[in-house]
Amino acid sequence: MPRSLLNLSPRLRPVFFCAYLLVQLGLLLRAQRTPDLVFGFQMFNASSHLKISLFRKVRQRGRVRVVPVRDGAWQTKDRSGVRHTFRWQDRVRDVNLNTLDQFVHAAYGLDAQLFRLPFALRYFMRHLPGDEETEALIAEVDTRTNGRETGHVRLQADRP
Amino acid sequence: MSALAQTFRRFFGEERDALVLGLLRIAISALLFFNGLRLVIEFYRSGFFADYFYLPMLPEAWLPSRSGYELLLGLQALAALCALLGFWPREGLLGASCLGLYFLGCDRLQYHNNRYALLLLGFLLAFTPCDRALLLVRGRSHTLPREQRLAPTFARRLFQIQVSLVYLGSTLGKLFDADWRGGQVLFMRYAEAPANCAAHGFPLPAWLIAILTAPWFASLAAKAAISSELFIALGIWLPKTRRLALWLGVLFHISIEITSKVELFSWLMVASYLAFVVPEVRERRFQFAPGNRRAELLARLVALCDWCARFERSPLSPTEQGSAAFYVTNRAGQRASGALGLAQLAEAIPLFFPLWLPLALYAKLSAKPRTPCASCA
Repeated sequence: MPRSLLNLSPRLRPVFFCAYLLVQLGLLLRAQRTPDLVFGFQMFNASSHLKISLFRKVRQRGRVRVVPVRDGAWQTKDRSGVRHTFRWQDRVRDVNLNTLDQFVHAAYGLDAQLFRLPFALRYFMRHLPGDEETEALIAEVDTRTNGRETGHVRLQADRP
Repeated sequence: MSALAQTFRRFFGEERDALVLGLLRIAISALLFFNGLRLVIEFYRSGFFADYFYLPMLPEAWLPSRSGYELLLGLQALAALCALLGFWPREGLLGASCLGLYFLGCDRLQYHNNRYALLLLGFLLAFTPCDRALLLVRGRSHTLPREQRLAPTFARRLFQIQVSLVYLGSTLGKLFDADWRGGQVLFMRYAEAPANCAAHGFPLPAWLIAILTAPWFASLAAKAAISSELFIALGIWLPKTRRLALWLGVLFHISIEITSKVELFSWLMVASYLAFVVPEVRERRFQFAPGNRRAELLARLVALCDWCARFERSPLSPTEQGSAAFYVTNRAGQRASGALGLAQLAEAIPLFFPLWLPLALYAKLSAKPRTPCASCA
């Protein structure tokens, strides 16, 4: 007869049973309040789309300008004059967030992607070695909720 | 002892045959292995997750280094392989699923419902006696004798509850969403289908496009999807509706697999239905006429595909041989041949299960009505 530590004793079985169920129900209820419904088993929850357009806030000759980021990439020179190229897609691999200037399906709904995008912007701003110019990264997001309501959201991450 | 205490004791002390749990272990550990393999391939193709934007649910200090992650990935695949082959299978399941849950905690972007469901079901299966059958490393003696397979299966109930929770979570979310209920969400998905199919080289005919892009169709499909999921979630608990709920579930997941990219989800849910199979084995009978080529072929097919050991197979004795080439006796003792016999075979053999309802309906419709004999009146 196989012996295993995972053979729970009769006393432990109800404890394990109730603890597991409580944790699962807790996670299911908690999921309803999280923007990306994590642990909520909500499959195919929306058919929403979003379009992210990136802009950089740069300071040039004492003036602050907002310049569009074409194809997610830009080039700048550092203090020693060395040219650096920065690409959004090099740092952000998630398909929902790294496709720019075109509408893409928002997996797990718009709230999920709009929750993740500010983190992605901040993460990117923390990884700009050699970019002395960019003061902030701005995402202009056009949204379509289930093909009907359209909306616009502006998110900004400043240099830390 | 009160009735409640008796029920409590029966629920947690229930001992059932663990053969089908062995089959379930093979299915779930194979899926865990493929899930682990996907992570390994992603690691070598795209690199370490923390080298790119990631969103941890765990504290940063708990996250692994690149080499630590690589090691854990290897361990996870190894643990799943051990579970599959039957070498420390329950510990393997526990290890692979816990590591998978840890990886999900490391990066929220990696979270997908199907992965999470797989890991939870793998975790729960580790607490069932799934190590008493189909231990492939033991060669021909891979399954223990029946008396040694009897073991407490309370964790199987948790596994079943978890399957129900997956459907309930999904269906209640849809039910409370007006856009889903009204069909708008599906309407948008269907509206994209013609272009997607054409892009993949399967242009849809005009009449099908007209149906798919009609709001009434999306509305109908939404209501059908919600009620199907709800019926599966609840119907699997009632003996009278269980078979129909499982059949609907199989078709539901086949249709999802064909129309959507859901990784291993369809395979997982169909495999999880094995937990709802009555654990006791050889309670049905398949008898075939020796010498009849078709009947012998069917007998061989039954022997090959009867993974849940539902049937006791035997040739018909010369005195029993009638006009039928085979007879199938189900658990209720109903003996049938022809289309009804095939339906009774299909209802118990996983591979043929999708054919059960069409065969049963055909058998019912084609059965000759019993008219009272005039001379007997």
